[in-house]
Amino acid sequence: MTGYWRLALLAPALIVLAIAAAQVILAMPAFGHPLSQYGTTVNALAPMIRNVSNMVAAVNFDVRAIDTLGEESMLICAVTATVVLLRGHRGEDMTECAGRLAGREWLGRSAATVLMCRLMATVVFLYGVFVVLHGTVTPGGGFQGGAIAASSFILIYLGEGYSVWRDVLHSEIFAAVEGFGGLAFALAAMVPLAFGYAADQNVLPLGSWKDLYSGGLMVIVNAAVGVAVIGSFGVLLLEFMEETRAPKPGDEDDEDQEEGA
Amino acid sequence: MNVLAWCVAAWLLGVGIYGIVTSRHYVHMIGCMTVCQSGTYVLLLGIGFRWGAGPPIFYDTPPGTSAVDPVMQALVLTDIVVGAAMTALLLAIALQVHKRRGTLDPQHLRPLRPRE
Amino acid sequence: MNWLVGIVLLTSAVSGLLVVASRVPRRQVYAMAANGVVLALLFFVLQAPDVAYSEIAVESVIVPLLFLITLAAVAVNKVRR
Repeated sequence: MTGYWRLALLAPALIVLAIAAAQVILAMPAFGHPLSQYGTTVNALAPMIRNVSNMVAAVNFDVRAIDTLGEESMLICAVTATVVLLRGHRGEDMTECAGRLAGREWLGRSAATVLMCRLMATVVFLYGVFVVLHGTVTPGGGFQGGAIAASSFILIYLGEGYSVWRDVLHSEIFAAVEGFGGLAFALAAMVPLAFGYAADQNVLPLGSWKDLYSGGLMVIVNAAVGVAVIGSFGVLLLEFMEETRAPKPGDEDDEDQEEGA
Repeated sequence: MNVLAWCVAAWLLGVGIYGIVTSRHYVHMIGCMTVCQSGTYVLLLGIGFRWGAGPPIFYDTPPGTSAVDPVMQALVLTDIVVGAAMTALLLAIALQVHKRRGTLDPQHLRPLRPRE
Repeated sequence: MNWLVGIVLLTSAVSGLLVVASRVPRRQVYAMAANGVVLALLFFVLQAPDVAYSEIAVESVIVPLLFLITLAAVAVNKVRR
């Protein structure tokens, strides 16, 4: 299908979409005057029932924890699929030289870059863990803190270079960490079932208001999600970065020979 | 002002779809898909917004002050992180396509055929 | 505060258009990072600090990095063929 036909098919599709969007927009409630009762009910009841002050974390990890379990499984599946795709073609070994393109000059790292990356990687990782731990009290939680802590790995690569980065971070550790986080979440959801409660029911003692350990089972679920997200993004970054390594002879030919046989 | 948020969400979706259809590079197409995703974030958060309300965090303000909808924020929050993993999966697929075909132009790639 | 929400919504619409309009993938990466920051500002204005945290960390740092790594891997593979 050439580009002309694509545009010719896109135009009526966009017109129909625009008409439908206009109808929906005219029927929506006015912006700023929400109609749903679920949100106002959670805001009114959850602080007293669960002793937490972050309502978004309460919804994520307690009220709708089954949905978050599904999202967590989606994250693990996506990362597993990416790793299978990338490693299936490349093999399981890992090298230590980054790929270099001929004709592009390579500027070395300045001392200021190395120093700032070393300092900031530590600070950013600690800040990410801080955000995870305070998830039930202030804005934060497992997902945000995990993403922030995972960006510190990029700073390590920027400051140290490919081979040192390979030595420090190992893919097996991150994969184990991610699996452990997912397993802890699944256990937190299923173990109350075994004792006769509902799935993911808050069975641990709720702490006091505005305390770091308030929320009961939410603390475990929060930490599990944070750990799983750190592991997921670590595995992703390592696998993707491995793609830019110096190509080895015989890297690709095995797959083609298997296809032809 | 009453309909601006919904219009912006529809606009982002439409612009993203246009970018996907007229794209000449697979990586650019994946970037346009993230624009479509951000349209849905704007829509979800616009639904939960309330004029004159604060965030649904009751650390400094006593519980009972008017706050926006936390359920919508919970949806968007997990959506963003999982969307990034999906983007990574699509990028891995694009990389494999390039390794097999040598090009990333969607208009030069035909569907897979069995090897003759 | 009507005008603030309105202005940031329009800015996010413009930045989304700019992401699509950058046809060269290497330039689109930086447009995506800017789009992430503008969206995080929009989420702050819509009283959602958790979501803004998530948006900055993911769509301004990690996703552009994945894009850049993919483009570099494509360039390395192109040299090999």
